[in-house]
Amino acid sequence: MITESTEEYLEAIYYLYERGKTATTTSVAKELKVAPASATQMLKKLAKQGYLKYVPYRGVTLTPKGEKIGKKVLRKHRVMEKFLSTLGLPKSRIHKDACALEHHIPDDLERAIYQRFEGERLRPPGAPSNVVPLTGLLDGQKGIVSFIGGGRATSQRLADLGLTPRTEITVVKSALFHGPLMVSVRGTTLAIGRGIAAKVFVGVK
Amino acid sequence: MSTAEKRPITIALAGNANVGKSVIFNYFTGLHQHIGNWPGKTVEKAEGKLHFKGHVMDVLDLPGIYSLSAFSIEERISREYIAIQRPDIVINIVDASVLERNLFFTIQLLELEAPMIMALNQMDLAKGKGITINIPQLQKSLGIPIIPTIATRGVGLGKLLDKAVKIAKGMKLKSTNMRYGREIEEKISKVTKLVEKIPVEYPPRWVAIKLLEGDEEIRKIVGRIDQKIVSSAERHARDLERIHGEPCSTIITSERYNVANKIARGSQRITPPRGPSLTERLDAVTTHPVMGYPILIGIMLLILFTVFTVGGYLSGFFEDVMGPIQGAFGGELGELIGEGVFGGLIAGIAIVLPFILPFYLILTLLEDSGYLPRAAFMTDNFMHRVGIHGKAFIPFILGYGCNVPACLGCRIMETERERTIATFVVTLVPCAAVTVVVLGLVGAFVGIHWALALYLLNLVIIFILGRVAFKVLPGEPMGLIMEMPPYRKPHVRSVLKETWMRVKDFVYIAFPLIIIGSVVLTGLKVGGLLEPIGDTLSPVTVGWLGLPAITGVLLIFGILRKELTLVMLATLMGTANFATVLTPTQMIVFAIVVMYYIPCIATIAALVKELGWKKAAYITVFEIAFALLLGGIAFRLLTLA
Repeated sequence: MITESTEEYLEAIYYLYERGKTATTTSVAKELKVAPASATQMLKKLAKQGYLKYVPYRGVTLTPKGEKIGKKVLRKHRVMEKFLSTLGLPKSRIHKDACALEHHIPDDLERAIYQRFEGERLRPPGAPSNVVPLTGLLDGQKGIVSFIGGGRATSQRLADLGLTPRTEITVVKSALFHGPLMVSVRGTTLAIGRGIAAKVFVGVK
Repeated sequence: MSTAEKRPITIALAGNANVGKSVIFNYFTGLHQHIGNWPGKTVEKAEGKLHFKGHVMDVLDLPGIYSLSAFSIEERISREYIAIQRPDIVINIVDASVLERNLFFTIQLLELEAPMIMALNQMDLAKGKGITINIPQLQKSLGIPIIPTIATRGVGLGKLLDKAVKIAKGMKLKSTNMRYGREIEEKISKVTKLVEKIPVEYPPRWVAIKLLEGDEEIRKIVGRIDQKIVSSAERHARDLERIHGEPCSTIITSERYNVANKIARGSQRITPPRGPSLTERLDAVTTHPVMGYPILIGIMLLILFTVFTVGGYLSGFFEDVMGPIQGAFGGELGELIGEGVFGGLIAGIAIVLPFILPFYLILTLLEDSGYLPRAAFMTDNFMHRVGIHGKAFIPFILGYGCNVPACLGCRIMETERERTIATFVVTLVPCAAVTVVVLGLVGAFVGIHWALALYLLNLVIIFILGRVAFKVLPGEPMGLIMEMPPYRKPHVRSVLKETWMRVKDFVYIAFPLIIIGSVVLTGLKVGGLLEPIGDTLSPVTVGWLGLPAITGVLLIFGILRKELTLVMLATLMGTANFATVLTPTQMIVFAIVVMYYIPCIATIAALVKELGWKKAAYITVFEIAFALLLGGIAFRLLTLA
């Protein structure tokens, strides 16, 4: 059984590693807001358990075993943050709650929530965080058209078929093998190729 | 009656796709119609004549469109026709069951300020969806007369014509007071004042709106007269963009939809029926991720089977009846007439027509019933890999039967770019005649695995060339954006009429070509020119492809019908055991060349009809060159091994 604090440490070390920083006792302690002395102790313990290699006064590197856990916990943390932010929670709570949830959420549930935000990275910078591409909606889910990217002819055609800003749109179903999406808008049903659908951004409640 | 009154009344039918426009057109014009192309365009133009209560009317069926932007040819053609040709009356056909989206188009027609009435069609469908429409209210909001109709049963169509005649004969229409939001209207009227000072064929207010939207074509037209107006409109558009934070074209499109939404909500009441509709229930099965595909495959097989059994039967029947005529002429001139003219005619009637007829019938049925968009939905992803989208799936599959209906089927693609790519790809699909050669030569004498390898190679080549065409052709690639109309029972009379019109149309274009081709070839044969031609071609056939000189002649005859290459090989060599006259390598090379080298003459005719002469010529020349290249490479690789 991996303890919460083990996960916290591995996550923090992975986070530093991801940013290209060396994880030292000091930086890890600072990241986790603990005293350097207790960090030293914990790192020694983790090194003994085979999660990391610890060289006093130099720094730590994760073993593959430790890296796997650190990476997973960090991803869970990010997914939970995203999830909590769509619920409209205040920023101050989001980080705290995500820190708590990251240790308890089962892997498959995390995957499911992650799927839901698939394509999130496609979102242009500056767009509100509850705006996702149409491809990020589940079958049966509704959204409000926020804006349409892509070429002029394509976006005009979509607008002409009723996908204008502030219009409600429902994903009816999507075809297999990354096929097109069937959506319903203004009382009609349309099929939209996945490439185009990825450029239609909708707000979800 | 004065002479002025004898001029036929011109009526234009305008509306979205899937609103029953062609049913109304067929009802009005019966068989007195002509389907051709718009001058210089490959967009279909359907015209017809109608006699009604002593009046003669010319009815024109405009393409089914959703907007009047400059982005598609269909839309440009429609707005040009309405604004410049000025029909006496425009009948806007509207699907009552999807009022809001249809009104969006109506509003754009109103912007064009043409005399107009509305046929509020598919009232039965609307009723089925629990929609009741307050017609007087709708009429008041739009300011045009509205006639409720159910075209499939002929309900309301007489009344519609009565009204159309009255208006065409000068009944005054109240001018509409369709207006948009205040700040948009302000800008429109400012630009309109500028446009009013210059001579343009379009209504000034419409031109002003289009300038604000940034319509390329109108900007060009106005810019030629006064560039200052264009830049002034641009400034106003930017003002609006600052307020709304969206491109001006989006602002105006949204505004039209707002108006459409307000009118629709104000004049319809919806009490949704309990339980899923027929379409929902059918969709649950036909686009089901698991069940949908077997159904699709089943339907495709059924189509192939029907087209080829019916076609094969008709083909055999015509050949038996007409075959003897061919040989009934003696002498050289007789041969030219018999084999050339009648041979060509028989090829047309007995070989091409029997397959086209059932194909058109089935394609129209599929289109009319609403299954076609579902098939496109299911296959879009596969077809994307070839550079085309799902709508081309059915023509593609049919290409394995015969390229001719496959090419003609590509007209369901929306933009010219998509249509060109799809048609090109379809001509690369080995048809039944090619299969005869591949199986009869390579399959029978080299081995079936070689024949299969050729088919696999074909798929790879289709994939590569499709991608290349996708990259090379100019224009914005248009992914799949398609309306999924509800399923419905096909309207038999419309389907039959449409099939008949298309067949007729094809015969007019293809038959002359087939007959001319046949006469020329027979002439060459009679004139004893075949051998010299074979010799002339020998640097290519013998030198490059490593084939016997005689194949040059065969390949020329193959233009007429590809399976002729094999039939004539047997005749000229005096044996059907090809192993004695060709080496395995030669057979494979020969089959490859036959597979790709040219669309047969009937396919070329279909290409001309769908894409115009220029593109048909490009495709033909390209495929000849490509076949020779591939054949030459195959020859060298195979002799190396």
